[in-house]
Amino acid sequence: MKARHISSLLFLLGLGLLLISIFQNLPYSNNLTGIGANINAQAPQQVGTANIVTSVILAYRGLDTLGELLILFTASIAAGMVLAYNPDELTDSVLGKQQQQPAGFILQTAADLLMPFLLITGMYIILHGHITPGGGFQGGAILAAAFFIPLLTLPGKRMDYQLGSLLEALAGISFISIGLIALFWKGQFLAPLGEPGVPGALLSAGSLPLLYLATGIKVGAELANLLARLRDA
Amino acid sequence: MIGPVLLIALPFLGAFLLPLVYQHYLRAAYWAAPMVVITNLIIALALWFGVSMVGPQSLLMGGFAAPLGITYYIDHLALLFIILLLAGSLSLWLGAWHRRLQEEMLTLLLIGSGTGMALSGDLFNIYVFFEIMAVASYGLTASRRHCGQSFAASLRFLIVGALGSSMLLLGIALIYALTGTLNLSHLAVLAPELLHGTTGLAAFAFMLIGLGVKAELFAVNTWVPEVYAHAPIRVIALLGGFVSKLAMLIIVRLLLLLYAGSDAYLILLGFGALGLLTAEFAALHATDLRRILAYSSMGQLGLIAIAFSIPGEAGLIAGVALAAHHAVAKPALFLLIENWGGHWQKLSGAVKVAPLASVIFLIMTLSLIGVPPLPGFWAKLLLFQAGLTAGGIFNWAIVLIVLTTLIETAYWLRINRQLFQSENNQPPVNIPPDRELWPAALLLVLLLLISLNIGTISDELTQMAYHANDTETYIKHTLPMWQTGE
Repeated sequence: MKARHISSLLFLLGLGLLLISIFQNLPYSNNLTGIGANINAQAPQQVGTANIVTSVILAYRGLDTLGELLILFTASIAAGMVLAYNPDELTDSVLGKQQQQPAGFILQTAADLLMPFLLITGMYIILHGHITPGGGFQGGAILAAAFFIPLLTLPGKRMDYQLGSLLEALAGISFISIGLIALFWKGQFLAPLGEPGVPGALLSAGSLPLLYLATGIKVGAELANLLARLRDA
Repeated sequence: MIGPVLLIALPFLGAFLLPLVYQHYLRAAYWAAPMVVITNLIIALALWFGVSMVGPQSLLMGGFAAPLGITYYIDHLALLFIILLLAGSLSLWLGAWHRRLQEEMLTLLLIGSGTGMALSGDLFNIYVFFEIMAVASYGLTASRRHCGQSFAASLRFLIVGALGSSMLLLGIALIYALTGTLNLSHLAVLAPELLHGTTGLAAFAFMLIGLGVKAELFAVNTWVPEVYAHAPIRVIALLGGFVSKLAMLIIVRLLLLLYAGSDAYLILLGFGALGLLTAEFAALHATDLRRILAYSSMGQLGLIAIAFSIPGEAGLIAGVALAAHHAVAKPALFLLIENWGGHWQKLSGAVKVAPLASVIFLIMTLSLIGVPPLPGFWAKLLLFQAGLTAGGIFNWAIVLIVLTTLIETAYWLRINRQLFQSENNQPPVNIPPDRELWPAALLLVLLLLISLNIGTISDELTQMAYHANDTETYIKHTLPMWQTGE
């Protein structure tokens, strides 16, 4: 072991001890401000979501969710830029010819069969995000898998990046547009629009399901594009 | 209040729309991103005058009141840094035609997130925007084509940045565990009772390390020399000139709202002093011109950290003055050395081939050292006054600053002597093309304008510091339940 390794180990040990001593002093149980209890009590009437988490993600802290979407967007642009430098050279030299072969009949058929089911599951999770656990991020990841699994079985095939980028851009634009409509209509950016309705019904919570739909499509398109870029690079 | 929302929404909308515009209207696309920045600059200036007339304003994002929803607070301190960011990125667009789509998108995302971070009054919201800013800057530093060293530097930046982000998140989590809220004004009310203990100060130290990655503070600034040596020059000017100041702004907000009257200022003072000392010695020792600028930038940010750690308005005034001065002087220097990389001794006799660039270099470095009529002198004078008035440990900080100013003088004058030496008749440097000189010349004009109007500007600064230090107004504006006396 070099001196460098030992010093890193000592640093980690020190940091660990520091964190343990800090966490021992934390008051875990007491509810100091009552924010959580407030949200639990108000959310079903104020926002109309049966899933309280959704009310926090899209209504009380909608701007943070827009930020999360943008982090993913930024990361995918940056990764795309770095990976797109020399795709042809890399695929020829690094991957070699053998891995370009199709995956075989069984895997291909299974992947084709999986796709519609994954699409339906993903859309279901996105559209029911305000009444059941789940939502745009989780459903979007499943949508991305639906498009990526068939690609894995056909290594030679190139993904259509244009379509993905278009969907990504449109979903992002619609998320911000819904926020801006709320700004001009109700005076506040990203304020929930429409009636809260009956918590638990599919058509409830006003404009929140629309926001989740935009989130889901955006996450799906972005992840699929990113995975395909990583595969092609 | 539509203005502040548009300030954030427009760059993000622009980033989403840009790929579509590039596909169909290439000619318009080159103008799209600068147009967004110009629009934002106009809105920001309008907001500035609005705040001058009616005072600071607040708005609720999503329409929910403070502890539940996210509040934004618009005052002169935040607007100054936003205007610097917008005007700076606009000046960097000058003379850089035909940039790639991804670079433009990342720049817009950087601008939007920086604006959001400066205005936000919610810790987690600040974290989210800080993260966008961080990811966009990793991407931008890697945007130089076919350059392995630039990739390696950017990877190092990414690793240090990821460590910093997790530290910042840890600090925010500690604060949430201690108080049960993330809203800055709500925290300001609860802080004296709950946050001024050891655990609360530990949370501040964690957040300082996290934000310090971008603010180039000591110990987490190891990425700076590598990145500045290899990344595209305009990206460096943006990061070192403006993004680092935004991170510093968040540190100041935390210090003012959450930790006023506690010992937190000592932590910031320590990090700042160590950063100043190490960076200036490293700059004296460095030979590569880009690295000298990088170390000098780290030193200046250490100086700004020391200024902000002085309690009271005097420290705030000095810090803002130093930050604004550095945001004008350093990007100009970076732009000048775009073609002057390598050992500083290569510059001997550069005045013969590039007189304008040499003169701009001389004036900017003299201002950084703090030579009288230039703005750098007034900023340092403010810092001396503030430090000596505060007394105690700050007397030692002033001694340190005098010492490092001597070092600064040594290495800047050494380079300037090379520039203006006339022995060498065939200087081995490239002449920067005229259009590359535009932004630097513009910044020089700005610097000279500032030195002519130093009286008005110091009045404005005093006003701004008074409002920024006024925690009660902040709480009254953003916490409705406080108004009803609950």
